[in-house]
Amino acid sequence: MRTPRRLFGYRNASLAAGGSKAGAVARITIRQQMAYKTDFIMRASFLLMILYVFVQLWSAAYDGDHARIINGYTLKQIIWYLVFTEAITMGVPALCGIIENEVKSGDIAVRLIRPLSYVGYHYAAYLAEAVFRFFVHLAVGSAIAWLCVGPPTFGMGWAGLFSLTFGAITVAFVLNMIVALCAFWVEETRGMEFVLHKLQFTVGGMLLPLDLMPEPLRRICVWLPFQAMLYFPARTAVNIDAAPIAEQFAIQAVWILLLGALVMWMYKRGVSRLHVNGG
Amino acid sequence: MIALQTQALRKVFTVKRKDAGLAGSFRSLLKPRWEEKVAVRSIDLTVQRGEMVAFLGPNGAGKSTTIKMLTGILHPSSGEARVLGCTPWREREKLAFRIGAVFGQKSQLWYHLPPIDTFDLISRIYELKRSDYHARRDDLIERFELGPYLHTPVRKLSLGERMRCEIAVSFLHRPQLLFLDEPTIGLDVVVKQRIRELIRELNREEGTTVFLTSHDAGDMEELCARAVVIHHGGILLDAPVDRLKREVLNRKLISLTLAAGSDASMLPPLSGTEVIASDSRRLKLAVDLAVTEIETVLSAVIGALRLEDVTVEDPPMEEIITHIYGTGG
Repeated sequence: MRTPRRLFGYRNASLAAGGSKAGAVARITIRQQMAYKTDFIMRASFLLMILYVFVQLWSAAYDGDHARIINGYTLKQIIWYLVFTEAITMGVPALCGIIENEVKSGDIAVRLIRPLSYVGYHYAAYLAEAVFRFFVHLAVGSAIAWLCVGPPTFGMGWAGLFSLTFGAITVAFVLNMIVALCAFWVEETRGMEFVLHKLQFTVGGMLLPLDLMPEPLRRICVWLPFQAMLYFPARTAVNIDAAPIAEQFAIQAVWILLLGALVMWMYKRGVSRLHVNGG
Repeated sequence: MIALQTQALRKVFTVKRKDAGLAGSFRSLLKPRWEEKVAVRSIDLTVQRGEMVAFLGPNGAGKSTTIKMLTGILHPSSGEARVLGCTPWREREKLAFRIGAVFGQKSQLWYHLPPIDTFDLISRIYELKRSDYHARRDDLIERFELGPYLHTPVRKLSLGERMRCEIAVSFLHRPQLLFLDEPTIGLDVVVKQRIRELIRELNREEGTTVFLTSHDAGDMEELCARAVVIHHGGILLDAPVDRLKREVLNRKLISLTLAAGSDASMLPPLSGTEVIASDSRRLKLAVDLAVTEIETVLSAVIGALRLEDVTVEDPPMEEIITHIYGTGG
């Protein structure tokens, strides 16, 4: 990935200028998000429903026994794990659809006339929207989990959750950006996006912590980037003592560097063959 | 000093060809066929700093594609271009600080937020000093009379109000060269006129070079000293607007809607005026400005008929192009 100065465009050759641009994009994105009240209510209602169903399912799996431990997780830890993974998953914007629409409608022209990196702009907007929505969904999810399985007494686990969530959202961004940038070559990216999301749900550990998966599948998952997006922050939050924190940060950083380099390479190739539609 | 210069600038798109119907879609899936579409054939052009140039042509002539290459959005298939000393597609971000662009059919304003938020974002993106930004913003608000709706969400603004905001935002960072792609499209006559006045004012006071595309001949007549007409991706005519007015834009069209009880046959024959369409309620006249003045014709019309509505228009761009072809450019 480029340095922040290069990522967000430059003139005064200072990190402050890049930071100021990213901050401005983030602020306006959050302000725009506040206009979508109905969307928030719909998503929050859906989250409540999902969590209620999973609370019932896991309660049945644990026979309602709050003291029972399955592969290192109590019922309370599993439910809170779900709250954290759902808050991240439902928080991240539908980047593929956004980029595909920009390419199809030709609105990408408005982005490219600015002294601002196209990828950098979308990263700032993605991060702002994801963090904002993450906290909203976390509040909604926490309410139901608290009522069903008790308060989240995770101590330093919260610090682990918040610090790893930043890397998790960045990993989600680069993964989604790779698929989104395919819109520069192909007409539809929705099929690829569908596969990507299903991989996040399964081998990313959204529904089930990787520790509860069969050993052969778990061995495959540790070599994939998806665990860095959901499993790392949620597992660390509910079970910080068992989480190799430094290793998780390192794995996130490696994936961000590798996938970020791929994003920049794809963007450079794709933008040179762009066909901007309409007037 | 040269603001922009192009040499044999060309853009060819590869587009997928699909036959009609379901069978055609299946065939396209199994054996896709691609064909080349020449959007810009070859453009050689030089624009001096401070000039206001109209880049005209009918839909699909290659106007917008040329602008997108000159702003660095599109990479050309071949040819060269220098804009304010930069190669646009290689130095896009560097050039972006010095140019501005308005795409009439695309909004740069945030839809759910008031225009003031977009002003603030743009000031950060162009790295404007806070004090400079506030002074410049207040000046533009006053000139463009944006005060009453600066805090209204963009979605609630009329097209004319929105376009005034779009153009004001594009002037915020004092661009040396402004690309205006159909800035008056869809606007009514009064708003068009106001926007033209503002662009002219900023060109005069700040020396901003303006490169304007339009298929509205009025934009060219009122703003520019030079017109470049393109057709099928190549330059058809590059001439002073005065010459074009004299030789090509010497016709106006008057559309009349008659009031109830008024009879079109009451209109006496007028020299240099031809009735090109008529029915019981409507009348369309073509006026040859070399023979008579528009005011003379309008006075005669108002004296003879009772009217509900009058519109005076330039001939459509397609007609102008045909005329240029007919006279050999």
